[in-house]
Formats: sequence, structure tokens, C-alpha cells
Amino acid sequence: MAIKKLLFASLLICSMIQSSHGATKERLFTDLEKGSLEITATPSRTGEGVVLAAGIDKLSITWKVSSTATKEPEFKTIKVKLCYAPVSQVDRPWRKTHNELFKDKSCPHKISSFSYDPTVKTAQSFDYTLERDIPTGTYYVRAYAVDAIDHEVAFGQSTNEAKTTNLFSVQAISGRHKSLDIASVCFSVFSVVALVVFFVNEKRKAKIEQSK
Amino acid sequence: MAPNHSNENGSIGISLHGVTAREQIFSFSVEDAPWSQAIRSDDPTAKFALPVDSEHRAKVFKPLSFAKPHMRAFHLGWISFFTCFISTFAAAPLVPVIRDNLDLTKTDIGNAGVASVSGAIFSRLAMGAVCDLLGARYGTAFSLMLSAPAVFSMSFVADAGSYLAVRFMIGFCLATFVSCQYWTSVMFTGKIIGLVNGCAGGWGDMGGGVTQLLMPMVFHVIKLTGATPFTAWRFAFFIPGFLQIIMGILVLTLGQDLPDGNLSTLQKSGQVSKDKFSKVFWFAVKNYRTWILFVLYGFSMGVELTINNVISGYFYDRFNLTLHTAGIVAASFGMANFFARPFGGYASDVAARLFGMRGRLWTLWILQTVGALFCIWLGRASSLPIAILAMMLFSVGTQAACGALFGVAPFVSRRSLGLISGLTGAGGNFGSGVTQLVFFSSSRFSTAEGLSLMGVMAVVCTIPVAFIHFPQWGSMFLRPSQHEERSKEEHYYGGEWTEEEKSLGLHEGSIKFAENSRSERGRKAVLADIPTPETGSPAHV
Repeated sequence: MAIKKLLFASLLICSMIQSSHGATKERLFTDLEKGSLEITATPSRTGEGVVLAAGIDKLSITWKVSSTATKEPEFKTIKVKLCYAPVSQVDRPWRKTHNELFKDKSCPHKISSFSYDPTVKTAQSFDYTLERDIPTGTYYVRAYAVDAIDHEVAFGQSTNEAKTTNLFSVQAISGRHKSLDIASVCFSVFSVVALVVFFVNEKRKAKIEQSK
Repeated sequence: MAPNHSNENGSIGISLHGVTAREQIFSFSVEDAPWSQAIRSDDPTAKFALPVDSEHRAKVFKPLSFAKPHMRAFHLGWISFFTCFISTFAAAPLVPVIRDNLDLTKTDIGNAGVASVSGAIFSRLAMGAVCDLLGARYGTAFSLMLSAPAVFSMSFVADAGSYLAVRFMIGFCLATFVSCQYWTSVMFTGKIIGLVNGCAGGWGDMGGGVTQLLMPMVFHVIKLTGATPFTAWRFAFFIPGFLQIIMGILVLTLGQDLPDGNLSTLQKSGQVSKDKFSKVFWFAVKNYRTWILFVLYGFSMGVELTINNVISGYFYDRFNLTLHTAGIVAASFGMANFFARPFGGYASDVAARLFGMRGRLWTLWILQTVGALFCIWLGRASSLPIAILAMMLFSVGTQAACGALFGVAPFVSRRSLGLISGLTGAGGNFGSGVTQLVFFSSSRFSTAEGLSLMGVMAVVCTIPVAFIHFPQWGSMFLRPSQHEERSKEEHYYGGEWTEEEKSLGLHEGSIKFAENSRSERGRKAVLADIPTPETGSPAHV
């Protein structure tokens, strides 16, 4: 009986998941217009071997629509994302680059998303402070131009096609906290001491029982 | 002379007890003073809430009761084990956050998964001995309260190495499995032991499923208070840590080692003799059945532990589910334990009623092989509904096999029961470590291929069950021995004691157990009227 209910529930979940995928399956990255957006990302600290600190350092991102862009009338929103460089994808299949856009996991971190104003033709820039949940790794910045039905149509990135230039490194926060450490030690000590107290107590009681 | 009530198990005559005045009374023996023969061994209403056999083990299983000592031991045991499963697999649903915080690679994560189950290989072995020597209560409490610091120390972890070390140390607490099964085996009689062990083991194993839902939920709640993800996951580990401490204290205050009292009290008052560890160890290791069960459990429980570590990630990657949905799917694998493992134990008990021990062995083989076949199917399924269906059938088969195996294990030895539980349990973790290392820690196989190959390996490694043979009960393909002596249960269990030990009466508990285990003959036990052999005390003087 329980098996039947479980099977039914699981089939229900599956059908819901299937229907939520819809028509986004076939859209490919290679279909997007390359280089439509020219984007540069300048870290607040630069130099050889500099590693930016998450939560503290900033990126100054400048972007504009390239003169070679043909799909410009379709642009409705610009989505700027932080993407992993190949060196940060090694032995980490959850960051793999896929051609199918819905499968692609190389650009999971949103920097900013704003609506596109076609009247402004000059370069625009904004600052972005690296969020405290950015993992340690090497990154570049990519901007997608999205149309009215939320489909990507074009993109631009701050590095070259092989993703070897203009990369920057980020060091994540440790997530550790002094108060957490202290609480952890306190509870650990309590656990061991409580056990020892019980053990010794019972041995004593058994000895008393024996001597009776 | 007190009248000899014979119950269907064939009670031991007690008329010669105390005659020599040197007899030691054991934990499972009658609680009568040497000079009195008026107190009957099966006078249950006087002391216990449930009907008991001659060893004071309960004959009835009432899951909704908390009565001392039997049902209370059951509930404390399985909940402790449940808590430890939560702690051991607490990291698995949070791996997507942890891997970002600590910059882990797939190899790091795979190795940590292997480490999380490897620690228990040693601790389960040790736990068997601890239970035999110190009692199930302290075994459980040690496991819970000494590994709680490891759970809390997740707040200190800063890289792959320390993450692996902490998961390894947390994994030690899976030894509660052994103490839990030992505790129920001394509290409940052989006829229902399959069902009771199945429930205790299954409901404990559910922790591996519950944790896939609990930890993400705790993580979200902590984030709501304003913590960053990289701090929130560390704090989330405090919840399993607290649970362990609370359960440890409850076990020590509310629990009781044996139906008649606590082990240290019984030992000190001379009622229980301390057995020699070297003997207990020797008889466990010498028995080839222990090692067959070791391998078998490695490919039922071992497979289950491996799946707890990899299945969430598998559904997330292959079918592109969200983390939340993948967690629900992973949880339902573990939650199937609620009915699957008890079902396996129950099926084993029913098979024993009809066909005796041979039925138990066939049940075990069928359930484990069917489960493994569905595991092969799971790896090959390319659509989500089929994969989920295969996974659910696989989970029921494998988990029921775990329950059925512990319907057999209590009968392999009486003297070394704890150590055999420990060795079998260790086999489960060993199998899990091996399968994770071979199939899931490198890029040689995709996860899907790994699942199918693991299923194939499980089918092959289930075949040895055909070689388990009990002279008194037979095996899958052989009938019981026709030999006069070897066909008696007393001969098998008495064989664990030397003549010298027998002359001191140390084997009395085993003889009692042998008589109670006559039920493993199946329907023949009810039909035949088997007289107590000369090795036991005569019924009438």
C-alpha cells in the first residue's frame, strides 16, 4: 500500500518536472551573437599575483554595445554575470561549460541585471563589490543581452575566446567565526565530560552494591 | 518439585540448578536463588510489561509502547542510530555550498565520501567487543557523545584535508548500528528478531534520508537570520551535534542493558560472568559464516551508504533538477527504509516459520539479488520517471535484504553475538568504501556507469549466501544433517565452549538460546517433540 502511494507520488513529481522544462531545451550558446557587447572588468587592486578578497574588493565594470551588433533592436535586458575561467573548472563537473544554455553551469553568479536603454550610446559603468558567497577561483565577466521573452540573443565577455586574458583571482571568505569556534569547543567539552561523569558515577554505585 | 511447564520453545529444566552451589547465574538465566526452585523462569506478569521467554526476552513487539525495559531499549536504540545517520550524511546535501567554501574538487568530495564510511569499519568492530564487555548502553553512549565533538568541529574546517578528516571522525558514530542491533537482540526473542531488528535498523537508516531534507532546511533558516552561506552551513552542523548529546544522556538515564538490569550491576553482584575477549573474538573470527555475512552486508548496506552519498548529485547533474528537488529524490531513497527494512525482517521471520533457516537464507538471496538488478536498471535509465521508479524498487530490494540479513545473523553465534554484529556491520561500511572508491571517486566511469557496475558487483557478491550451512537447519541447497549429534542446536551452540568451560556451567546461556532457537526448524519444530538432550539438564529427576 505504501509502495503504491510512493510510486504514485514520484510519478506525479516527475511529470511536474518534465512540464517545467518547456521550449528552452534547444537554445545553444553558439547561436548567440558574439562580441555584441564590449565589456571590461577592472579589479580595484591589480598587479602580478593579486588575489581579490570576496566581500571587500570591487570590480569596476564598463560596457557598451558594439558597432558590429546586428540584433540590437531585440535587446531588452542586460544580464551581467561572473563566470569561471577554465582553470577553475578542472575536476569540477558542476561548473562545466555546456553548449545548451539551460545546461551551462559556467556562469552561475549574477552581478547585475538592468533594462537596456537604446537611447544611450556611450559606455556605461558601475561598481560591483564581490559578494561574500563567491568561491575561491579565477574569473571573468560576461554580459548577456536578453530579449523580451527572456531569451539570450547576444553576449560579450571581458576575456578572449580562449578565456586566457584579463582573468582575475578571488579568495573566498573562510566562513569561520570566533563565536562559532568557542561554542563548538564548549559543547564538545560538555559532551565528553557528561559521559565521563555518568560512567564514573555508575561504577561507584556498582561498587557500593557489591559491598552490600 | 516445581511442575515443569513446557512452552512451545521447550523450557529448560531447572531442578538441578544450585545443587552444586557453584553454578553461576547468567544474565539470561532464571533469577532464582540457589536454594529455591519455586520461581519459574517464564513468570512474566510479575516483572515485565510484555510476555517473555526463559531468557526474559520479549516475545511480542509493540512499537507504540515505551515500557521498560524491552520497548524502551528498542526506541532508544533506533533513535540513537537515526541520529548518527543524520550526522554522518549531514554534509551530503550541503556539498554544493561546502565545495564552494572550501574549493573542493570532485576527487576531494569522493574521497571525503569514502572517509565518511571508512571510520565505522573499525568502530563497528570495536563496538561489538564493547557491547559484549560493557553493555549496549555504554556502547551507544560512547558512540554518540565521543563523536559529537567531531560534528561540532565542522566549524573549524578550512580546506579539503580538514574536511576529509572531520567526515572520517564523524563516521565513527555509525558504530551505534552495532549497539542498537545488539540491544534489540538481547531484548527480543528469536522468533520475532527479524522484524524487530528490521524495524530498528530500518528506522535508524531513515536518518540518511531525513538528513537530505533536514540539513538544507536548517541551512535556510540560519541564512534567514542574516548569516552568509559559508557560515550558515557550519552552524547547521550544531543541530546534529545537539541531537547526539541529548540522545546520549537519554540512553544513559532511561536505558537498561539487559532485561534483568544493567550489566555492571549484574556483573558485580555475580549474576553475569565476564567472558574473555580473546575467546569471544576467536569464535567470531573462526566461524566462516561471519565472513560471508561480512561480504553480503557490504553489498546491501554498503550499496545503500554509497547511494546516500552520490544519489542527490546524480539526479542534480544527469537530469538537471534543482538542488531542492534532487534532495527530495535522495531523501525518498533513504525514507523507503521505514517500511522496506522491517519488511525484509518480517519476510525473513515468515519464511523461517514455514521453512526454517533455509527460508531465511533464500529470502535474503532473493531480496538482495532483485535489489541489485534494479540498481543496474537505475544506471541505465535515461528518462527521469524510469530512473525514479528504478531507484524506488532498488531501494526496497536492497533495504529489505539488510533486514533479512539480520534475521540470520543472531543465529550464527551466541557467545560472540556482539562481535559478529560488529563484523557484519563493518562489512557494510567496507563495501561502501570499496564501491565509492572504485566507481565514484574518479572520472573513469560516469556516475551512471558506476551505478550499473555496482549493481553487477552486488549480484555477484550475493552468491556466497548459498554457502552458509547450519548442520542443524541446512542451507539453501542442502538439507540439515541427519547425524545424531550434529543435528541438534545444542551441539552447534555448545561447540563454542570448551569442555572445561562446560563443566563450570558457563555455557548455560548458550544452551537456553539453543532451545529457544528450535523455531528455526520451520514447521518441523512444531510437529516434532524434541526431548532435551543429555547436555542440558533433565526435565524430571
